[in-house]
Amino acid sequence: MIEITNLSKSFKSHKKEPGLKGSLKSLFRRQSVTKMALKSVNLRINRGEIIGLIGANGAGKTTLVKILAGIVHPTEGSATVLGHIPWERPNEYRRQMSLIMGQKNQVWWDLPALDSFLLLKEIYQIPLDQYKKNIEFLAETLMIKDQLKTQVRKLSLGERMKIELMAALLHNPQVIFLDEPTIGLDLSAQKAVRQFLSEYQKEFSPITILTSHYMEDIKELCPRIAVMKEGEIVFDGPLNQVQKMLGDQKVLTVTSDKSIFKLHVPRESLAYETQQIFQNHNVIDLNIQDPPIEEIIESLMKGGTTS
Amino acid sequence: MKLWWKDVMAMEFRKIFAYRSDFWITFLGQIFIQLLVTVSLWQAIYQGNEVKTMQGYGLEQMALYYLVANIGMRILWGENIGFISREIYEGTFTRYLLYPISFFQYKTISSLSYSLFYSTQLLIFYFLYHLFFIEAGISYGDLSHLFSGVFLFLLSAMLFLQLAFMIELLALWVDNVWTLMIMVRFFITFFGGGFIPLKFLPNWAQDLLQWTPFPYLIDLPVRTILGLSTQNEMREGFFLILFWMVLLSSFVKIIWSKGQKQYTGVGI
Repeated sequence: MIEITNLSKSFKSHKKEPGLKGSLKSLFRRQSVTKMALKSVNLRINRGEIIGLIGANGAGKTTLVKILAGIVHPTEGSATVLGHIPWERPNEYRRQMSLIMGQKNQVWWDLPALDSFLLLKEIYQIPLDQYKKNIEFLAETLMIKDQLKTQVRKLSLGERMKIELMAALLHNPQVIFLDEPTIGLDLSAQKAVRQFLSEYQKEFSPITILTSHYMEDIKELCPRIAVMKEGEIVFDGPLNQVQKMLGDQKVLTVTSDKSIFKLHVPRESLAYETQQIFQNHNVIDLNIQDPPIEEIIESLMKGGTTS
Repeated sequence: MKLWWKDVMAMEFRKIFAYRSDFWITFLGQIFIQLLVTVSLWQAIYQGNEVKTMQGYGLEQMALYYLVANIGMRILWGENIGFISREIYEGTFTRYLLYPISFFQYKTISSLSYSLFYSTQLLIFYFLYHLFFIEAGISYGDLSHLFSGVFLFLLSAMLFLQLAFMIELLALWVDNVWTLMIMVRFFITFFGGGFIPLKFLPNWAQDLLQWTPFPYLIDLPVRTILGLSTQNEMREGFFLILFWMVLLSSFVKIIWSKGQKQYTGVGI
């Protein structure tokens, strides 16, 4: 289980004015700025649960994940993962946890993936039969068997991501932090990664925190989401609840002979608004839908409705 | 430390052998060029001064000094400048915080792999030199001197590693430690006897340096291999290296305990 109570983190960085003057000035005097990356975050995630952490860039998602993975120390507050304080980094915790970062490689670039896996086998003390079984299962599910003996740097982005996933899951972690695992991948690679993660979750039921800017990742994998805005959690609840939050609205997409436009209309005035549209426009096509989940989440991230 | 150290070592060796051309340039090319330049230079100096020996070193002995010192410095440096700081700046340092093993043990083993590789290079070149260039009848130390010297080099490498840890980990606070490392390397090369044997320095400078770790890093192991150091010097050197190692490692501990709180995992 993951329990986070009033967790805050601030970062100090230096500011430099642009231009040569600014560069010279900064040699003698620097201005520092403190930014609150997390503000009193509270969250509780149970065993086997998968939660999608979403928010705009700089909302604090990655900082939260880094703290829970034990690589960054918080400024205030407390957190326990499987009963351990993450930033104390006890080996017992590290053996049960994995962090996968879509933008960073953890396997060694100059070597074939299998060489890295062999080292990880020793580092995580994975018994030989379990190691073989896991390699077989992961390589087959990810369809990457033929690339295991190729130098990692020579693989495509999608293949490298699959290798990263394999490396991170070899030791059957009970807690998985996935930080934008599909970033930069093409659509079919994204789909393959999502499908794999979904199967893995069903098979092993780890606690998983997933951050992603792709709503498809969230919709397919996360029954629960936490929306972050400026270091705070502004919504935490089931994904389907998000849809219900604006459930009294409908989106009308109107195609007329002159233009195509969208309207957000309250459900009770749907009939009246439709009638008005037909009266005022030469309508070729009219489509009535629930608001897309992306729009609702965007409004939450901008500071709209909260739970 | 469990069995993983063998795999870390094997992994580092695989990394050394991963690029064929780079391997041969490092293994042969650089040594030959360095040797050619230094031998030509000293040949000119000996001929210009019309002497057969300088501070007890004949030309062949001087050439061997440089050959051993050059490869010896590779043993000393281990991996390369930036072996930690670069990873901190790029964010790949994160992996050592995630693995359930000690970061320092991992890096020590990884650096030792490079030092062992260069030790092998030193042994090969030492024997090749003897085979092709040494005139019969000139004594340059025996096998026991050779292995004692290589052992001292490996020990010095572990001392240098503590110094490197200290400086590289400063990357957790400052934006660039590269220049600092270059400076430290320059000081070690100069005051350690990498540019010229320390015997060429004035007596007062030699006396002063004895209180620092510098002479034990390059000059002592090279002289040991050449059979020019006494048992007493070797013993003294051994204990002084250990003393400096313990002292520096206690500083490293302090820097690490404060520094890890500064790590932000930039780039991720």
